[in-house]
Amino acid sequence: MKIDLKDLTIEQVHQSLLDKDYTVRELVDTYLEKIKEKNGEINAYLEIYNDISEQVKIAEEMFEEGKQTLLTGIPIALKDNILFEGHIASASSKILENYKATYDSFVVEKLKKQGVVLLGRTNMDEFAMGSSTETSAYGVTRNPLDQSRVPGGSSGGSAASVASDMALVALGTETCGSVRQPASFCGLVGLKPTYGAVSRSGIIAMGSSLDQVGPLGKTVRDVEIIYDVLKGHDEKDSTSIPNELRNYSQKSLKKRIAVPREFLQGEGIEKEVLKNFEENCQKLKSAGYEIVDVSLPLIKYSLAVYYIIMPAEVSSNLARFDGIRYGLSKDADNLFDVYAKSRGKGFGKEARRRVLLGAYILSHGYYDAYYNTAIKVKKMIKDELENMFLDFDAFITPTAPLLPFKLGEKLNDPISMYLCDIFSAPANLADLSSISIPSGKTKEGLAYGIQITAPFLREDILFTIGKDFEKLVPKEI
Amino acid sequence: MQIEDIKKLANLARIDMSEDEMKELAKDFDPILAYVSQVQEAVKLKPVGQEETSFTKKIEGDYFLHNVMREDIVTNTKGEYTERIEKQMPDTQDGYLKVKQIL
Repeated sequence: MKIDLKDLTIEQVHQSLLDKDYTVRELVDTYLEKIKEKNGEINAYLEIYNDISEQVKIAEEMFEEGKQTLLTGIPIALKDNILFEGHIASASSKILENYKATYDSFVVEKLKKQGVVLLGRTNMDEFAMGSSTETSAYGVTRNPLDQSRVPGGSSGGSAASVASDMALVALGTETCGSVRQPASFCGLVGLKPTYGAVSRSGIIAMGSSLDQVGPLGKTVRDVEIIYDVLKGHDEKDSTSIPNELRNYSQKSLKKRIAVPREFLQGEGIEKEVLKNFEENCQKLKSAGYEIVDVSLPLIKYSLAVYYIIMPAEVSSNLARFDGIRYGLSKDADNLFDVYAKSRGKGFGKEARRRVLLGAYILSHGYYDAYYNTAIKVKKMIKDELENMFLDFDAFITPTAPLLPFKLGEKLNDPISMYLCDIFSAPANLADLSSISIPSGKTKEGLAYGIQITAPFLREDILFTIGKDFEKLVPKEI
Repeated sequence: MQIEDIKKLANLARIDMSEDEMKELAKDFDPILAYVSQVQEAVKLKPVGQEETSFTKKIEGDYFLHNVMREDIVTNTKGEYTERIEKQMPDTQDGYLKVKQIL
């Protein structure tokens, strides 16, 4: 039977599978046909896994035995930095071109227990370094809403897969906006869970004090369902929040949302983006929320803090790619040259830039001026936001300061590219939960996104406000 | 940034790079460092006081200081991962990872 993928949700699919409107096999085949039709031009997927039939069989057996869950049979795409045992995970880098994961990441383990069908690995900026998926060693990904434009990054492939109906939901990762920004650019919902909410075990690390896995989907409810399955303590991730700490009493909503007014007045923020944001503030007011301008003088330094802490952590995290135990290995006369040649050939330009920047920032004479200072300011920003949250449920901004730009447009201007994440950065630095929700479209069909940020472990606030907001945004074709 | 500085960093980071790329990086670094130097003005600003009722203050003292390192004991069965890991190695001999002379 012909399944219309466009407006499917996890719950609808689950009901259809229970009612036997179609089988898991028919559902997955429909997605595979779509992939065959579209992936050539969009390049969302780098690889479709070769064991889909086995996964489908497991899912169908779960239904037959009455052991199915809400996620059984759901087709999901994985970002290329999420380990799935026996399958390649390359972080879209040449240095890991043929690296086969030797174990499952925690999130994949959790999804497998539910009987999902993992379709394939999606394109990303190399080692998650980017905001447009243009630094991938395997070609760019095109925004399904306008193929001359970027899908955002670094989880651009994951976003493009869901936005073009090549997956029902996808997993991405965030270090600074890499789930929320591509979600916004592709007209999707994207969640960055609180740091420590979801395990980082088996996620190819970029910035260990910031990385989190986040789901992308078409509705807040779909993203919530995935988050509920992924969250949980993992003893293999020492930064994972213990389960006992997750049950602290959650107060009900104050229905007060803050807008950091000065933060929205910087240059480089497109007028139409601000206009759309103001319209959406009005919509939230009409839904009974009090929208209040606040002054948060420190959050505008978030991106600068990020571009010190992240390269420092990157230079450490990428040291393991040395051509010795796995990955690309270039032969040489001596050990040093094995390292230098393997890394020289295996790392792309942006990866090299950031590793060197990190080495500089951590080096003698500069450590105090940059890294130590950044750590202090990070704490100051966290304090500023926690203090604001005493009076507010959340703060809102546009997700990105601009609409999706053309492919190639920002490649020669690194700072302009980095500035795409100016609004995303505070949530990553301050250990907060944050979500991007589609907030309208331009005449040309490009997507706007609104970003809601809530306190530590208050994803419930994001889902409540998010579902209220979703009802207010017209569903276009 | 001078190309000499980039050469030192490339050496530290064990990354082979062409002269052209190092020249380009030397140019790229200056605006990036200028941008991130904002943190030096930020750190001088007045920090916001934290109320006792905030989340992190509540759990401080109970949870913040506890050891998350596991015991230093073997938890795998012998040989459980060996084949998978060996397959990834560029050069092996008799079950050992083969590398260039160190000493």
